[in-house]
Amino acid sequence: MSKLALLLGKDARRLGRSPLLLVALVVYPLLIALLLGLVVRYAGERPRVALVDEAGLPSTIVIGDERFDLRALFEGAAEVELVRMPADEAERQVATGQAVASLTIPQDFTVKLRRLNESPRIVLRTSQSALGTQVVEKMNALTYAINLQLQKAYVDANLGFVDLLKRGGTGKLGESEVTVMGLEQAREELERLATSPDESVAAAAEELAYFVGQVEGAVDQVGEYLQATANPIELVSEKETGRTWLLSAQVQAYALGLSLAFVAVLMGAALITGEREERTLGRLVQGLVGLGGVVTEKVVFVSLLGASIGLVLALVFGAVVEIGSVSGGQPWERLPLLTAGLVLVSAAFGAVGLLLGTLTRDTSGAMLLALLVGLPIVLLGVIPAGSFPLADTVSTVAPFGHAVDLASAVLYDADPWGTVLREAAWLLGLTLVLTGIARLTVRRLLL
Amino acid sequence: MRAGEIVAVVGPNGAGKSTLLALLAGTLPPTQGAILRGTPPPRAGWAPQQPAQYGHLSPRENLELFARLADLDEPRAAVERMLETMALPGGRGRAAHLSVGNQQRLNIALALLGEPRVLLLDEPTASLDPERRRALWTLLEELRDGGGAVLLSSHSPREVAHLADRVLVLLDGRVVFEGSPEELERAMPDLAGGV
Repeated sequence: MSKLALLLGKDARRLGRSPLLLVALVVYPLLIALLLGLVVRYAGERPRVALVDEAGLPSTIVIGDERFDLRALFEGAAEVELVRMPADEAERQVATGQAVASLTIPQDFTVKLRRLNESPRIVLRTSQSALGTQVVEKMNALTYAINLQLQKAYVDANLGFVDLLKRGGTGKLGESEVTVMGLEQAREELERLATSPDESVAAAAEELAYFVGQVEGAVDQVGEYLQATANPIELVSEKETGRTWLLSAQVQAYALGLSLAFVAVLMGAALITGEREERTLGRLVQGLVGLGGVVTEKVVFVSLLGASIGLVLALVFGAVVEIGSVSGGQPWERLPLLTAGLVLVSAAFGAVGLLLGTLTRDTSGAMLLALLVGLPIVLLGVIPAGSFPLADTVSTVAPFGHAVDLASAVLYDADPWGTVLREAAWLLGLTLVLTGIARLTVRRLLL
Repeated sequence: MRAGEIVAVVGPNGAGKSTLLALLAGTLPPTQGAILRGTPPPRAGWAPQQPAQYGHLSPRENLELFARLADLDEPRAAVERMLETMALPGGRGRAAHLSVGNQQRLNIALALLGEPRVLLLDEPTASLDPERRRALWTLLEELRDGGGAVLLSSHSPREVAHLADRVLVLLDGRVVFEGSPEELERAMPDLAGGV
């Protein structure tokens, strides 16, 4: 048996004899994955927006033949949490950040809405916070959703006017009641006049009857034109059994990256400082293994451990996906490629932990440093690319972003090889560089 | 160090005894100077002052691991021999749960694995009861008589006087005396403590 295998077996046995740690290593990533899914699903989901209702929105408003509960339309909006308050309180809450924006419904809102001849306005004031843009988007979505419901009533009301013009009779135009002859009756009258013995009257009546007939034909098309004008592009939303956010590819990739980041960094740091605290490092390098051998064994052990944990995580995800008959399924055929990716990801994180362990020397200090360094690396990796130049630079150097991109490509890209090879090369390079530095700094642990 | 010799390094705490032994064992890199070893370098066993072993493994597992890492021809036989020689428990109990004395015996057993020609023992008798201490002296004498070399450290010259062929006195990292135990008594009677 090779010395590397002997040391790997020894570390596996040591780990196996810490059942609590072993359980934590399996449960912790699952917990992280669940929490991450929930954070991604609900973080910033319903920002608090102050609602200043100067119009005193009525519970019921009639547009055309339809009744609307405007209060319910606004307050039931899923996009934001609208909280009613006076204007001055809204201003204060936006200023202090308690609310990310204020939405003012002006006094003339309801009147304009009823008249159907002018678009009523609502005014959104956002704060300088990072959520400002997000709130504008969400309010656009809310306005779109309300408009969609009102549009049908507007179109129906307008079509009612058109129908009145066509067929004639008594009806409402805005808020006034009118009685009109109607195009049909006008055409019939003109056709009757066209049979007049007075040839000039008959000719004029015939010409007018022809024109009214053309207008009737055009009026028949008005309904379709109105619909098309209201919705140049209509979004039809069909719900399928698509993946929930909790099971999405993005969450799975982040969960794998995040879990392995913490587990591998902490394990790497703990394993090397453990050798020092048990004073076995000196015994190992006394002609038996050498510092390079010890450092290499630790990276290999963490990479195998991390890959095993990552596989458990992927299997649990896959099982949930299969049991839930989620569309897309789990790409089981890519499990070998995922395993190789997880080995590389864990090795890179393990090398980070190993280096931190050699710099701190004692286990408790190494754990603290691993957390202090690991957390910002992970958080910087979560910031979207292009948002912050420093974060981009750190993400390029640190393994987290590469880990997420690799896992995401392996799991769900139709053609993953370009990304996989690029990220694998980065991770391998990082591992070799960090392990090389750790090989130099590990001598400190002998002193 | 010469073959067939037991050398005692004595000196107060902080004199540099442990550092010297670690340097000779090759577990500490020298910041200056050089350590000359024979060709081929003799197999050296090292027992640091505090036990250097895996607490989660049993004494048998510790011995077996290091026997295999040292590429011993018959690792299992060597392990059984050490367990018997040092009267160590052969069960599955972890080394961390052993008494302090047993941990020290395991520490020495790991140094003795593979019958090294050079043995470096740092305060080996600390935590050993008188019976085990006498057994250790006997073991070291046998090693010397078989042509081996032993370097052991102690802060008590009296303890090692009857065993050592040569005594080095270290003070602040410097050798301030080198000679037989008798010469030490004559030169430094206060330090020798009536050797």
